[in-house]
This record gives sequence, C-alpha cells and structure tokens, in this order.
Amino acid sequence: MNERDDWHLTDDIKHEAGRGDPFAAAVRATRMPMVITDPLQPDNPIVFCNEAFQKLSGYEREEIIGRNCRFLQGPDTDRDAVRRIHAAIAAGEDIAVDLLNYRKDGSTFWNALYLSPVRGEDGAIQFFFASQLDVTERVLRQAAIAEQKAEVEREIERRTADLKAALEAKTLLLHEVDHRVKNNLTMIGSLLRLQARTIGDPEVAGRLEVMLERVDALATVHRRLYQSDDINQFDVGAFVDNLVSDVIGASGRSDIRVEMAVERIPVGSSKASALGLVLNEVLTNAIKHGYPDGRPGRLEVAARGGHGEARISIRDDGPGLDMADPLPGGLGATLIRRLSKQVGADVRWENADPGTRVVISFPVES
Amino acid sequence: MRRLKPPLRVLIVEDEALLAMDMESMVEDSGHEIVAEAASLHDVEALRDEVRPDLAFVDIQLARGTNGLDVCRHIRARWHETFIIFVTANPAKIPDDFCGAHGVIAKPFSRNGLMSAMHYITQGVCDPPPTSPRPASFLAAPAFAESWATT
Repeated sequence: MNERDDWHLTDDIKHEAGRGDPFAAAVRATRMPMVITDPLQPDNPIVFCNEAFQKLSGYEREEIIGRNCRFLQGPDTDRDAVRRIHAAIAAGEDIAVDLLNYRKDGSTFWNALYLSPVRGEDGAIQFFFASQLDVTERVLRQAAIAEQKAEVEREIERRTADLKAALEAKTLLLHEVDHRVKNNLTMIGSLLRLQARTIGDPEVAGRLEVMLERVDALATVHRRLYQSDDINQFDVGAFVDNLVSDVIGASGRSDIRVEMAVERIPVGSSKASALGLVLNEVLTNAIKHGYPDGRPGRLEVAARGGHGEARISIRDDGPGLDMADPLPGGLGATLIRRLSKQVGADVRWENADPGTRVVISFPVES
Repeated sequence: MRRLKPPLRVLIVEDEALLAMDMESMVEDSGHEIVAEAASLHDVEALRDEVRPDLAFVDIQLARGTNGLDVCRHIRARWHETFIIFVTANPAKIPDDFCGAHGVIAKPFSRNGLMSAMHYITQGVCDPPPTSPRPASFLAAPAFAESWATT
C-alpha cells in the first residue's frame, strides 16, 4: 500500500467501518494501549480506546468513552508536561512526553505518551490519536540511577573535602616543623657566634665563621620550605635568590653589585638541603675569591630550568682562579664533591675572563 | 636632630635569649654599651626612665603576645630622641612609614652583617650622613635617610 494513503485507514474508523478492517482489528488487539479523541466535540472526549488501554488504566470502556484524557491525571502529575500537551493540541502538532498517570485504583504509572493529530483530506484535524506505554520501570530505574549518581558525587565531594583538609593540615604541620627547624638553626648560629667570640686564634675563628655560613644556608633552605605552597617541592630558583641576598647581606658588602636572573626550578624537597649546601659553598667561595680585600665588583647569578636540566651559573668578575685546581680546599671542596654527587649534580668551573663562572647543572623533570 | 657621641647607649628588645646574647656581644664589640634588654612590651614598660637609650634594636615578634611595633610606639612616646631599628625575619611586614622607626636589619644576620650595619648606623646617628657604603643587611627608613640629605 502506498504510504500516502495511510490516513484512509484511520479515516475509516470514523465511520465505524473497521470491524472487518484488518488494520482496525490490529489497533483493537495490539498490546500497545491506544485512544482516539474527537476535538470537534466539546472538551475533546475519547471516542475510542482499545483493550490494552483498559487494562493499563483499570477502567471499563463505558467509564472511558466520552471523557477527556485528563481523568488519568492526579495530584503529582507534572503541570508543565500537561501544559505542553495542551499547547501541542492547540497548535495541531504531535508530542511525545513522559507523564505520571493514575489508574482507577489510585496507583500511579509512568506513561510514555505519544499524541498526534489525524487530518482529513482538506487538512483539517479530525481526530487525535494517542498511544501509551507503561514505562514506570524505566523511569524509576533512571531516577534510581540518578539518585545513586548524585549520592556517589556527594560522597566524592565529601572525601575530596576531607582529603583537602588533611593535606592542608599536613602542609601546616610541615611548615611549622620547617619554621622551628629554621629557628633552631638560627639559634645554633648564635651559639657558634658566641663561641667564636671567645676564640683568640683568627684562623680557628675564621673556620667557625665558615661553619656558621653553612648553618645559615640550611636555615635559608628551611625558610624557603615553610614559605612554599607545595610541601613536596623546593624551588631552587627562589632559593638561589634568597641565598644570594642573605650571603651578600651577611658579608655586609654593599660594593658587590648583584645581577640576578632566576626562574622557578622545582625539585623534590628531599634534595633541598644538599643542593642548598653546594650552592652556599660555591657562592661564599666566589665572594671570597672574586672580591678580596674589599674589591668592589659585579656578581652575575642565573638559574634556568627546562629541557630536563637545571643550570645555575654564578659568575664573579674577580681575578680568576687557577683552572688546573679550581676547587676550594678543605671541607668546602669535599662538601661540593660529595653532596653534588648525592643529588646527581655536576659542578664545573670555567674561565669567564674576567673572573670565574661556576656552573651547577642537574637533571629535573621537565 | 641631636648629635650623639659614641659609645651609644643601646637597648635590645628580643625574646630569644640566645639571639639577644648574640646581639649584645656584637654591639659591645662595636664599642657601644648595653643599657638594658627586654623580651616583651611589658619588660620595656617596666624599665626605669633613666635608662633613656640612644639606640634600640627591636624584634617584631616578642614574648607574651606583644610586638615590636607597639614597643616602637612606647619608646617614641617615652624617649622621643631614641633611634629605633627593627630586627626581623619579615622586613616586608613593616609599614611604609616604619611607625616612626629609623631602619631595619633583616634576620638572619651574620656577625659581618650586624657589625657593618652597626658601623653604618653609628655614622648615621653620630656623624650624618654615613660615609661608608650602605651594607646590604641594613635598610634606613625613608624619613631617616631624608634627614641626612638636609644636614
């Protein structure tokens, strides 16, 4: 059959001529609940319903025919969905909507309603055809899934908040520890200084002074650690900046001009102390040898990360070192060698003419 | 501004005993005299009027919940000719007008750092303007530095 002639089938129903019509028989017998309403009569009453619809609604045919479909609605039916149906009927359009309906016994079911106008040859609406489907299970299942999802989301939110609070507490605690360590290192510095004052021998006092600088450098490491937002990371760049200011400040030398260009270089906090001490040795050594006896000068400090390698260079414009044996002697040399090895760093001395450049490089995660 | 002659009479306000001892030794090594030490605002308030220090080094965080800014106000109200230098690990927390104080020394300080600051301050107080270069460990308050320009 030509699809364009489909409407003739429903058209025939108007004439109650469908008893022997196989299509009308199908509509009567199908398991899908269906009704037909007549908009030409007052209040658009139901003029036909099939058995499946009686079964779904729990009403007898006599209770159904002649009534408007709204008798299926109840107190919890969504008013907005009902308004949408009215609008579709008024506009002569079809509509699909899930609606909460009430059976005769008062129980509810979710009705997947599909409503469409049936037009005559002149295009005027003759009937509305509505098919219903009980989708209560599907709707309840969806609601249950949505509720479960919301519950999981609430739980995740709760756990995230807990974890965040725990992390904040841990950060606060570690910052407090680092603060105390720094204060204790400052006190150790004072103790050493008070002791140094009683030592007459300038060479011994000098060594104690160098020891003090190392303690001060460690204090700077811990100052950086408690000022850091991320307790697992240590910003070597910012540390170099701090250390240079502290060491130059401690030297009381305002005649050394510092040119600083440092980037953020994050490394694991566990490497902080070793790197800090290496940098301190290199820096104090550069100041001692680059600007002896109050010689003024310029100190260039650069720290760059990226490309998987960090590079810190410290350049003085002093008299230069004997490149055959550039390492400072004694404990300083040993500290640089052993501690740089510990953190996988490479320390090189270069003739920068004028002066000396020390380059400390080590792998970082890029 | 009045001119003072060394040795200066110095007050140390610091709640950490070791740091106070450390500073006292360095002040004395610079040829000055410690007239009193205090750990809190209450200690400073309890000092006799005759203490009248020429110079006070004042830590910002002090004992018994008191702070150096209040000590600074108290000293200025009581001994208005005293020069006040803050000593702090957080120089950034000092207000722009220094609360009327004359400078700041950043913690941690070394012996060299404090001694050169002491030398510079002595010049600024006794024989302004200071002729030695400003040590990195010391920062003069803007008003104090300006007073040198007009002498």
